[in-house]
Amino acid sequence: MEALSNQILVAVTFTFLAASVLYLCHWAFKSKVFGWAASGVTWAALGVLTLAIVLRWVASHQMGIGHAPFSNLFESLVFFAWTIAAIYLIIELSTWMRTIGAFAVPLAFLSMLYALTLDPSIKPLLPALKSNWLIAHVITCFLGYAGFAVSAALGAMYLATGQAKDPASPRALVLDNLIYQTVVVGFILLTAGIVTGSIWANSAWGTYWSWDPKETWSLITWLVYASLLHSRFMRGWQGKRMAVFSLVGFGCVLFTYFGVNLLLSGLHSYATGK
Amino acid sequence: MSQDQPRKPISERIWDFFASVKLSFFLLLLLAVLSIAGTLIPQKEGAAAYVRAYGEAGWRFISAIGLNDLYHAPWFVLIMALLAANLVICSINRLSLTMRILGKDPAQEAGSMRKAKDSFTLTGEPASNLDKARLVLERLVGNSAQAKDGERTVLFAQRGGWSRFGVYLVHTSVLVIMAGALVGNFWGYSGFMNIPVGSSVDHIMLDNGQAKPLGFTLRLDKFNVAFYPNGMPSEYRSEVTFIDGGKEVQKSSLIVNDPAEYKGIDFYQSSYGNDLEAMEVELIRADGSKQPLTLKAREINQLPGGAKAAIQGWRERVQMGAMYDGPVARILYQEKGGEPQAYTAFNPGVKMPQSGPLKFEIVKVQTEAYSGLQVKYDPGVWFIWVGCTLMVIGFFIAFYFSHRKVWLRLSPTGQGRTKLEIAGATNKNRQSLARLISRLSHELGGGPKKAE
Repeated sequence: MEALSNQILVAVTFTFLAASVLYLCHWAFKSKVFGWAASGVTWAALGVLTLAIVLRWVASHQMGIGHAPFSNLFESLVFFAWTIAAIYLIIELSTWMRTIGAFAVPLAFLSMLYALTLDPSIKPLLPALKSNWLIAHVITCFLGYAGFAVSAALGAMYLATGQAKDPASPRALVLDNLIYQTVVVGFILLTAGIVTGSIWANSAWGTYWSWDPKETWSLITWLVYASLLHSRFMRGWQGKRMAVFSLVGFGCVLFTYFGVNLLLSGLHSYATGK
Repeated sequence: MSQDQPRKPISERIWDFFASVKLSFFLLLLLAVLSIAGTLIPQKEGAAAYVRAYGEAGWRFISAIGLNDLYHAPWFVLIMALLAANLVICSINRLSLTMRILGKDPAQEAGSMRKAKDSFTLTGEPASNLDKARLVLERLVGNSAQAKDGERTVLFAQRGGWSRFGVYLVHTSVLVIMAGALVGNFWGYSGFMNIPVGSSVDHIMLDNGQAKPLGFTLRLDKFNVAFYPNGMPSEYRSEVTFIDGGKEVQKSSLIVNDPAEYKGIDFYQSSYGNDLEAMEVELIRADGSKQPLTLKAREINQLPGGAKAAIQGWRERVQMGAMYDGPVARILYQEKGGEPQAYTAFNPGVKMPQSGPLKFEIVKVQTEAYSGLQVKYDPGVWFIWVGCTLMVIGFFIAFYFSHRKVWLRLSPTGQGRTKLEIAGATNKNRQSLARLISRLSHELGGGPKKAE
């Protein structure tokens, strides 16, 4: 079952690639057919990805080391792709602006592609990870990250489609508002992620906050988005600056997620045993 | 903002400075940027580590401005205090404005209708349509007020005014969290204790290296490590007994993620290891004579014949490729009247270069297992949880609820019909106002309308 789940994950990766290409075609050729095809393929990818994650969960229980599939970089990347696709599709359903897909869905593909370079085997949980807070922490954090990912995709789209030239146009205003809305979703979930993380840290390490690099970078990300939300109340920060800000914020998210593990050391490095 | 205005007194300008959103924006970004420095420069290392990484001059600079403990450096704390001041003053400023908005007389507001967003004609005179309009308005929005404007009647209703307090809830939550951190800093402490299996310990070692008596005793009855089939550790478990006033008062099982509490102090499973108790060695002299010795750890051993020996350090297992795999100890030995000299001891039969006229061989290592517990007392932690809860609730209120006002104006058209106009205002979330207006319009007979 583990092998089946892994095979599905490979297939899903290329399905996201196909969806990305279709969304790009939709954007380039302004063709409805491509748009419908892109949405259909993305929905299919999300459905099958859900199945693969459930299979992996079941497989871990069959191996006698059952745990939610959110325990290492591989599993988090797979779940990150899931959250990006899910949040994007919700936005697509409410706005029908499929061009966003050309910017958002490639992020899901890249996350899956990165996962494929890693060891997919299911491993038992380290004692520090054996906590009910693991699930709450990972789900809130990654839904938050995905909110920020989609807002960055919207920011990129804002800049790439030249909205800055006419920031008062209806389309530019809708995009600007969507960037704000997705940042709000990401911000609330990131806050919840930091809170669940500190509750967990308090029971695992005996301190709710230890200025560990991962914690600090999540706070840096939080501060950057908090300032973005406050910039909304200052004149001249809508539109282009908002779009750029959403990209900078997502840069912080990526560093919190990958950079800290790769470049800095701390408590979150589960590569080495206790 | 005009330059012709007379300058405000200095006190007011300072107040305005602290009340500005620009300051919040700047301080939040400043804290973010400074925090980055603390993740690039290792924190709370020993001086030697900094000298190695950054050189003497680099270390002098780092220690002078506190970069080695950046998040507790006075200037970092000062910036957080500025943010707190900014929060408080900005909130006070806005709060009076909010109270004024919420305190407005509805009857007066009814008289100041905004620009209509929708309008349509109904059959019947305004008087006959008024009751239905009021009913729908009160059902969808809230209590209504009425104003007359010549022949025209304006109905006004509002909802969600309370949501204007969401932002203050968020700001208060930040202050509560900061207060919790301060309380923990001033009245809390943290440290650790290593308890050998079967032993009792009545004090902890604080993070600053000082011993602190607990006022009661902890006995480690049992320590166990469980493993998965693949050899990875699955659980570290310490069975401990709390002894207070000579009586066993509580038995607890400590595992990672499941600490125990006694008298408000929390105990966490943190580490484990083996401590050296004693070492049986054989002293081999140049003439080949052998002398068995038992050296106790952590003390100077007085040996027969007036010699002294101590174990300076040891490793349970050292692997040197094919050459060696076993324990290693560093032994300080002093003949009677001689100078102390250090020797490295290995298992018997190992060919290693000798560092002196004597040779020590390790015959037996006596260790005892200990469990390392993290110990914490933090009376501020409940502030943190209350603050976090308030913050999340505050976000939902601040971002997803809005103060919406709606006006309905009924005017006679002259042919026994009524012109009905709908206007609205909101402090945020325009789509939700648009949805509300289109619902009103639909229910009042304006026909189905698509939401914007």
